[in-house]
Amino acid sequence: MPTLALDPQDIARLESMSVRARVIVEGAFAGLHQNPHAGASIEFAEHKEYAPGDDIRRIDWKAVGRIDRYYLKRFEDETEMRTFLVLDASASMGYGRRGPSKLTYGSYLAAALAYLLAQQGDPAGLLVFDDRTRQYLPPRTRGGHIRDLLIALEAVTPAGRTEPGRALAHVAEMADRRSLIVLFTDLLDAPADLADRLRQVRSRGNDVVVFQILDPDEVELPYDEVTAFEAMEPDDARRLLVDPRDLAASFRRESLALRERWRQICVEARVEYQFATTVEPPAEVLRAFLFARQRARR
Amino acid sequence: MHFLAPSLLLGLLAAALPALIHRIGRRRARPIRFAAMELLLRAEREVSARRRLRDVLLLIVRTGLAMALPLAFARPFVEVKSDLPAVTGRSQSAVVVLDDSASMRRRDHDGTPFEVARARARAVIDHLSPDSEVALVLASEGATAPVAELSSDRARVLLALDAVPCSARRADFAAALRRATQILTGSPHGDRLIYAVTDLQATGWQEVTVTPAAAGGPELVILDVSGGAAWENRAIVGLAAEPAPEEGAQGIAVVVEIANFAAEPAHALGVTLALDGIEVARGFVDVPAHGRARKRFVHTVAGGGAHEAEAVIDHDSFTLDDRRACLVEASRGLRVLIVDGDPRTVRTEDEVFFLEAALRAGGSGFSVTTTLADDLAGRDLTTFGAIFLANVSRPTPAVAAALVHYVEAGGGLFISVGDHIDADAWNQELEKILPQPLGLKRTAAASPGAHPEGETVDLRPAERLAPIDRRHPLLSAFPAQGDGLSSARFFQFMLLTPLPDAPGRRVVLRYESGAPALVEAEIGRGRVLLLTTTVDREWTDLPIRPGFLPLVQEAARYLAGAPSGEATTAIAVGQKREIGVDADDRRIEIVRPNGDSRWLSPASHAGEARARRLVVFTETDEPGFYRVRAARGDGSVSYRPDAAFVVNLDVRESDPARLPDDKRPDRIATTSALAGPAPHRRLELWHALGAAAIGLVLMESLLTLRFRRGRVKA
Repeated sequence: MPTLALDPQDIARLESMSVRARVIVEGAFAGLHQNPHAGASIEFAEHKEYAPGDDIRRIDWKAVGRIDRYYLKRFEDETEMRTFLVLDASASMGYGRRGPSKLTYGSYLAAALAYLLAQQGDPAGLLVFDDRTRQYLPPRTRGGHIRDLLIALEAVTPAGRTEPGRALAHVAEMADRRSLIVLFTDLLDAPADLADRLRQVRSRGNDVVVFQILDPDEVELPYDEVTAFEAMEPDDARRLLVDPRDLAASFRRESLALRERWRQICVEARVEYQFATTVEPPAEVLRAFLFARQRARR
Repeated sequence: MHFLAPSLLLGLLAAALPALIHRIGRRRARPIRFAAMELLLRAEREVSARRRLRDVLLLIVRTGLAMALPLAFARPFVEVKSDLPAVTGRSQSAVVVLDDSASMRRRDHDGTPFEVARARARAVIDHLSPDSEVALVLASEGATAPVAELSSDRARVLLALDAVPCSARRADFAAALRRATQILTGSPHGDRLIYAVTDLQATGWQEVTVTPAAAGGPELVILDVSGGAAWENRAIVGLAAEPAPEEGAQGIAVVVEIANFAAEPAHALGVTLALDGIEVARGFVDVPAHGRARKRFVHTVAGGGAHEAEAVIDHDSFTLDDRRACLVEASRGLRVLIVDGDPRTVRTEDEVFFLEAALRAGGSGFSVTTTLADDLAGRDLTTFGAIFLANVSRPTPAVAAALVHYVEAGGGLFISVGDHIDADAWNQELEKILPQPLGLKRTAAASPGAHPEGETVDLRPAERLAPIDRRHPLLSAFPAQGDGLSSARFFQFMLLTPLPDAPGRRVVLRYESGAPALVEAEIGRGRVLLLTTTVDREWTDLPIRPGFLPLVQEAARYLAGAPSGEATTAIAVGQKREIGVDADDRRIEIVRPNGDSRWLSPASHAGEARARRLVVFTETDEPGFYRVRAARGDGSVSYRPDAAFVVNLDVRESDPARLPDDKRPDRIATTSALAGPAPHRRLELWHALGAAAIGLVLMESLLTLRFRRGRVKA
């Protein structure tokens, strides 16, 4: 499939987060053969019978062919869906050996989604957290909000321990029944209560998406010399001096088991699970996400 | 432990390298802040046990390797106290005399003494100084020397030593020491030594009366491999067979003589008799400590001729003398052939009148056939148990050959002389079977002396018989008083040419003058009786004396039951065997006990053997039955049962008595040259260390490869 998807390194060279967000979104929609600027919402909601004055671009021609009546597609923007972008900015998200850190990569994805939602006129908010809420921008549609949000994403730095459950609880208090909550985290040191928290948030009628972002090192452990590994998060004194070649195979199994465990938790909680490594083009990750949601809505 | 290059031991510091490298590697490990510590720690827990084991193993192997190399290069050795005499370390000419006699084949817990002796001999040769020369001689009787000249090629001598098998012959150290002395004669070295490696069995040293050193020869060093104690042994030392008339014509008695050389008596020792390979009898016998006992088996054989008999006792550590074999000649029956050399028309004047009458006497059981000398050629002699030649003038060559063959195959021949005898012709044609060559006819000159009352007095001068010896089986039936022979008078008789004593030949009856009257000889597996007077009344009145009838009948029975048993059919291991060759025989095949066969040709023999048409077989190395086959001119091959023979162990090898210390030649002739402290032997360790280093390299490679593969598989 011919795409305009740039690698994360290429995206990092772009001058600002707004440019990065636009490039990612364009790359994602280039793959889908759709114009992201046509004003269409990403969330299809229902059909409405055509009445004079309606935009003929929204006529569902397939429906015309099947029932010989003119119906218009109605989208979520017409149902006012609010989106909360929840970004884990703990110290462990700062790991990135050969490309952008997980935090940077998560901010790319969040920026792209915010940009796309702004294009559709949907209100998008941002919550940056570690073991507490570090920054919160509520969802809005006013002009300049998207710029503030992208600036906030560009300025975020990794620090502290992670408490995604607390962040989700915070978002759940502010979200109404049909909000979309997108969590960007590595889930490496996620506490056990996160699963319960996801179920609670989902049970309130919110649509929840979890992006698990890992560095390729956290999937393969491709080190080839004796290494002294040290924990990244504060107050974590764990240290291991080892020849990583001895552990690589076992590590791969453990990493896969972790991902599978969270995939299963999300399935059980009816939460959408997406996995990405920091070397994948963000546009492709975004496109896969949008495509999956489109298919799920049909 | 000592080192040839101790400075290289500094290299042992390298032993710390693996651990050092390991530590440095860990210190220099790159620190990395890593987010997935939990995953990493879980993975570590999974592999830590295996990884630690690998690390420890590799550390041990690498440290061992780092130690082994400098150690090997430092050339370590230890000095062990040698059990060899001090003199072995000197520059010398030496002859190693290895005892390969039969007794060295006994099996102890640690193997055989021969194996120990060979190891000691090897140690001596190894320990000799590099400029020494050495030869190798065997101590068994008649053995050839594996290395018969002094050689500085140590490898060659050791190779020859390894190739020496232990024989079944007796030890003859007298001959071996003579041989060794001969080899050392003219040696350039000042020190000349003979090392005798032996179990010191006394019988092997009996003939050593003078030590080589006493005669100005080399010094003798005895290396005793017996452990200093005599071993215990039971052995069959004799096996004889004799007719057993009580069992009928085919009855035989086999007598087994068993010796117990142990300090404890042997109770209920099992003895088994096998005939022709089939066990026919088993019995038990008690043998006193250091004593002997006999076991007599009586058996009836199926047919006449030779049978293979073997006696076996319960085995001890020396099994070679727990069995003994012989050939048993069963009686061919009581058919008697009388050859009349002086037939007369008047029956009472016939040469064989009295003989025939005596053999045909009622109840004798003999089947008598009489023939003339001229008719003898066409007869099958083998059907007769005994043949009487009475005053036969001169046998033709064909008859002579048939008679020789008949006797050697086990037949019994009675020869009586008379006026017709051509002594020269007999001596020439029948030399092989005549107990003694015939001489001149002698007429008695002395008065016959007193004679019993009522006896018809013949006034001719006459000889009488000397008192008879009833121990001879032929005469054992005669009563002590009134034997019926002492009254007989002998007017004429034939003198015999004196011969040295020979085994199997003896005088049964003598005249009062001392001249032999009846001589017996065992020829081959047969027997010959020679009466030096007539069997009619021409030269003697013996035929009309009461003793004539029993004498003739006993002689026929004695001859029909031909000699057999060990005495006539067996030789000792290592002795040569002469085998007569018939005119038609082209080659003779001897089948040894192990099934191997050797072909001998009369043409390959020279001198006397060729003239006598003999082949001489010398490879009598193992005890057992040796069968003989003959390949004739017409291409046929057949067995020659008459030529078969048995090889038995020399009974002297069964006696375990050790040579007393005070009779040991080396103790008698100990000189200062042999004294001195036992030398130290250098035991080099670097070869083993080098091998260990190679092994460690291989192990390290294998471990590394295995763990790498383990990483890939995991």
